Amino acid sequence: MSTTVATFTAKRASGGSFLIEDLRPEDVFTPEDLSEEQQQIARTTSDFAEECILPALAQIEAKNFDVSRSLMRQAGELGLLSVDVPEEYGGLELDKVTSALIADKISVSGSFSVTFSAHVGIGMLPLIWYGTPQQKEKYLAKLASGEWIAAYALSESSAGSDAMNLRTRATLSPDGKHYILNGEKMWISNAGMASLFTVFAKIDGEQFTAFLIEAGTPGLTVGFEEHKLGIRGSSTCPLILTDCKVPVENLLGEAGKGHQIAFNILNVGRYKLGASAIGGARNSLRDGIRYARERIAFGKPITSFGLVQEKIAESAAGVYAGEALVYRSVGAIDAALSALDKSAPDYSKQVQKCIEEFAVECSIIKFWASEMVERVVDQMLQLHGGYGYVEEYPAERAYRDARINKIFEGTNEINRLITTGWMVKRAMQGRLALLPAIKKVMDEVMAGPGARVSFDGPLSEERALLANAKKLSLFCSGAASQKFGTDLSEQQEVMGMLADMLAEVLVLESVLLRTEKMNGRNPLAIKLARYYAARSFRVLESAAERLLGAIAEGDMLRTQIAIFRRLTKHEPVNTVALGREIAGAMVNAGRYTLENRTA
Amino acid sequence: MRILVLIRQVLDAQETVRVVGNKVNLDGRKLVMDTMDEYGVEEALRLRENGTDAEIVAVAVGPAHAHEALRAALAMGADRAIHVETDAVLDVIALSSLMAQIARAEQADLILCGGQQADWDSQALGAATAERLAWPQVTWTRALELNGATLTGKHDTDDGVESFTLLLPAVLTTQQGLNDPRYPTLPNIMKAKKKEVRKDTLEAYNVTPKVKLQGVAVQLKERLKKILDGKDAPAAAAQLVQSLRQEARVIQ
Repeated sequence: MSTTVATFTAKRASGGSFLIEDLRPEDVFTPEDLSEEQQQIARTTSDFAEECILPALAQIEAKNFDVSRSLMRQAGELGLLSVDVPEEYGGLELDKVTSALIADKISVSGSFSVTFSAHVGIGMLPLIWYGTPQQKEKYLAKLASGEWIAAYALSESSAGSDAMNLRTRATLSPDGKHYILNGEKMWISNAGMASLFTVFAKIDGEQFTAFLIEAGTPGLTVGFEEHKLGIRGSSTCPLILTDCKVPVENLLGEAGKGHQIAFNILNVGRYKLGASAIGGARNSLRDGIRYARERIAFGKPITSFGLVQEKIAESAAGVYAGEALVYRSVGAIDAALSALDKSAPDYSKQVQKCIEEFAVECSIIKFWASEMVERVVDQMLQLHGGYGYVEEYPAERAYRDARINKIFEGTNEINRLITTGWMVKRAMQGRLALLPAIKKVMDEVMAGPGARVSFDGPLSEERALLANAKKLSLFCSGAASQKFGTDLSEQQEVMGMLADMLAEVLVLESVLLRTEKMNGRNPLAIKLARYYAARSFRVLESAAERLLGAIAEGDMLRTQIAIFRRLTKHEPVNTVALGREIAGAMVNAGRYTLENRTA
Repeated sequence: MRILVLIRQVLDAQETVRVVGNKVNLDGRKLVMDTMDEYGVEEALRLRENGTDAEIVAVAVGPAHAHEALRAALAMGADRAIHVETDAVLDVIALSSLMAQIARAEQADLILCGGQQADWDSQALGAATAERLAWPQVTWTRALELNGATLTGKHDTDDGVESFTLLLPAVLTTQQGLNDPRYPTLPNIMKAKKKEVRKDTLEAYNVTPKVKLQGVAVQLKERLKKILDGKDAPAAAAQLVQSLRQEARVIQ
């Protein structure tokens, strides 16, 4: 990256290494490390979101696409659509933390966020990464200004998670000037307002290939809008291709290599989805707190009730952890990208390879953050009581809008399988020293109780939990591998449990590193970290216990459960007291905050 | 020509004000450029975009963190900035002396400053600065146009709106409605990184505030949280109107 707005560069860490390596706080990027420029960009984005997107919400939700289009143009004028565009095509080419920050701060409307991210992500990135100079010259400026909206058409009615299975066919015309496409695409975001489509098809039913198709091309028909549960203001339609003639110069990348485009785009989509989910959760929490502060029941504001405070505290800890997770991971991606030579002819390819190294982090962000925001919108709807169930309050929309996050950009099931599968594959290839680490833990736990390692600082107990969480995850991975061998990939439930454990290790570590990096200066952050750690360990324990129950029996199970008990032994913290203090700070501020105000 | 815009940094309107000891505590609070001053920066940019060849200099007098507000002005499009860094609270007459000195040193032709400030509302800074420089001043401007050194425009008075014309140099105060300030665009934020922010000390200007701030108290308005009995709807409506008129005084 030639233009960097970051002032802090994280240590070069490799993807997946979080399970076996211990980083120091100064090695990771945290939201507190945002540069002055990044903070200004965040400010422009959130001002635009609050002052332009939010007032247009009713029209956006009513599918008034002229309003969405005009907002996209405004976003283009501000430069928000140019962050990933190369400088030689008039773009800004900023770091990935900045693009995640924009996804985070723009998310006041689930619908508009989807329009926005489908455009700058799956819409524009294939062209940026694979386009010929002529294709970029022709389309990039229009897309970066928001004059044109982009869409990406991969899924079909019977090819979703198994996208390689698609049926759309492309055939070269007899004169060799066109490809003739036939088929149907489904669930195409932005289809109803797009001017350019990246469409995947198989040439002669075999070579998986991407094509750039302009709206209005004869044979390309956009179907009716779907009636969706949420994100109703975004456009989602099927595409029908009937002898659609696409000029050969609009083939994107190489014939037969479309799968590279399809898969590499996803990693970026996943961490951006995470950033967007965090923004959504933060907004939902603010709306919930605002309501709760005003609402009187039994003669008191409902914020004085413990079960309301608990919802606020849990949600706040989720946002805090999500911020730590996303910015740490994307910061690590930026650190890796900064080592690349931008003038190299295969620079785009190297960027993708570099990001692919963090596929496991991207998948974890995707499923963890989408489930975090789902809990938050549910809790916030609940504290509205009946008012949460009607459209007059934002809680109802937020609740519906959040649901899609568990489905698109790879379902959470697919992402759990990727998470565990990727780690196993890396271990088998010897690219991640997981096997020696598993062996070490196995030897250690089999040898019986060892000396307790103690940690210092205000998070010493949470550090001990994390150390044991890593051991427990390695132990469970080892036990599952011993039991199933290469057949593990067929055991989806076990793969899922392992993915949950891996995710909690990554999130908990990110939370502790972020908090430690503040150097004990922020007592509220310490409370949030301790509160999150307690929850995180409950998830880990539950997954580990279910996993062991599923893979062993008799004496073997008894031995393994004894090890499990040893690794999970800890004194519970007082989450009630912590939760009340956290909620108190949030309620005083009227929103999610890290400032400890007692006034 | 050269346009000076005074930038002040204030608490974001959504923040709550907290007093610790005898002053407002700003630790960890969201601070922003005073909206009044955003109108000034925006107007300077528009004058330039309408064909005046002007250098726009943002000036701030205040503690180290005022730097952020200057950065925001640079990101909107100002060319460079001067930061007189001090923790002292300057009264408006002291501040006007400083502004006048900067205006002379910079050979400025036009000074734009907010008609009032969100947190120290004297409304006298423009006038005091103009007096020191012996320049004309126009307050509460709402439309401006520049042709060479001739400035024409409109400004609000108690009775209505006056049109005016004057020859630069001059001091103008800005207000809401003058324009719609732009957001700093991403390219401009990146460009601003390279722009100069000159740091001066207060001592360099030989200005001593004559008014010493002894303490502050924040007015808190408690909500009445009054509930009207709605069984008799017309009566409740009449009562509501009466309350809005006489107690809240939000309607006439």
